[in-house]
Amino acid sequence: MSGITENTKTSGEPSKENPSPNSSDTPDDEKKDDRMFECNICLDTAKDAVVSMCGHLFCWPCLHQWLETRPNRQVCPVCKASISKEKVVPLYGRGSTKQEDPREKVPPRPAGQRTEPEPGSAFPGFGFADNGFHMSFGIGAFPFGFFTSTFNFGEARPTPAARGTQQHMEEQFLSKIFLWMAILFVAWLLLA
Amino acid sequence: MANIAAQRIKREFKEVIKSEEVAKCAIRVELLNDTFTELKGEIAGPPDTPYEGGTFVLEIKVPETYPFNPPKVRFVTKIWHPNISSVTGAICLDILKDQWAAAMTLRTVLLSLQALLSAAEPDDPQDAVVAKQYKENNEMFQITARHWTNVYAGGPNINKDCDDKIRRLADMGIEEHQARVALSSYDWELERATEQLFS
Ligand SMILES: [Zn+2]
Ligand SMILES: [Zn+2]
Repeated sequence: MSGITENTKTSGEPSKENPSPNSSDTPDDEKKDDRMFECNICLDTAKDAVVSMCGHLFCWPCLHQWLETRPNRQVCPVCKASISKEKVVPLYGRGSTKQEDPREKVPPRPAGQRTEPEPGSAFPGFGFADNGFHMSFGIGAFPFGFFTSTFNFGEARPTPAARGTQQHMEEQFLSKIFLWMAILFVAWLLLA
Repeated sequence: MANIAAQRIKREFKEVIKSEEVAKCAIRVELLNDTFTELKGEIAGPPDTPYEGGTFVLEIKVPETYPFNPPKVRFVTKIWHPNISSVTGAICLDILKDQWAAAMTLRTVLLSLQALLSAAEPDDPQDAVVAKQYKENNEMFQITARHWTNVYAGGPNINKDCDDKIRRLADMGIEEHQARVALSSYDWELERATEQLFS
């Protein structure tokens, strides 16, 4: 192996009108598809894949080592957007990772966060459902768990109070307050 | 863990360093050993710069921690540029230091160096003498950089005036490169260069 001339193939980048001269070993299309799922750090197919908020794909061990290398400058290795361990999303494909070698030094990949759907028993009177208001919180850590379980908007529940009644007015008021609280929380989460 | 560096360089050789730039002879990389730790890079001097027509050789050392840390790169070919030491070839470029990102490759490094040749940053210099000339006597800078490209990088533009002055100093027993450095540093004023050499 010396010199790139005999080893170069077409790259993973989009400009590929002209096929590479020595792409005969593997069909080009297949290669392109493979590359979509390559880690941006090791350039191999991503293992224990995670994706950053800016949408870039990495192996978790690779990204973890990058974050450890530069503790004071946590940026995406591709686009330099700010990133953090807490805000990467693991990807689970079919035939996923359980069979693979347990990773040693690297801490476990951050878990996917999933909220159980709940029967709409709490606060039965709230009138979110009537304006088709739908909101779900996919962020499960402790204080927000409270929110998700409390406000399962859009669930089937007893009919809301009739329009115009005192109860209806109160519900509208409360719903607005909670909506604002929810928005503030989301904003806080994004900014934190 | 050292193996990830070798693995990565292997993959870069296979896929990232594109045939396109190689075809244009703009950039080239060559392996110097089997362990993928030492490479030789080459970039063509960009058009419309004093480096046009020259070929600049780079020494690339891949650390064990690559790609988490940048490769160590320096110019082997002597070059007159504010951000590159005219003595050691050391390079002042942010992506080779704190702005490195693990998704960058040898290809992006070489292309960035080529871009640096097109757009110097004299306010963040590596070579203070060159940077001063670049800012205060840019015409002289262009002449000097073009002359160095001709002599060291195979550039086509011969400057007879420069060559003559160097020969005058060589006749006085001064080694050619030393004479060139002195003259380059003193805007090709023969008396001042001589004075400096004999002081
Ligand atoms: Zn990886
Ligand atoms: Zn990114």
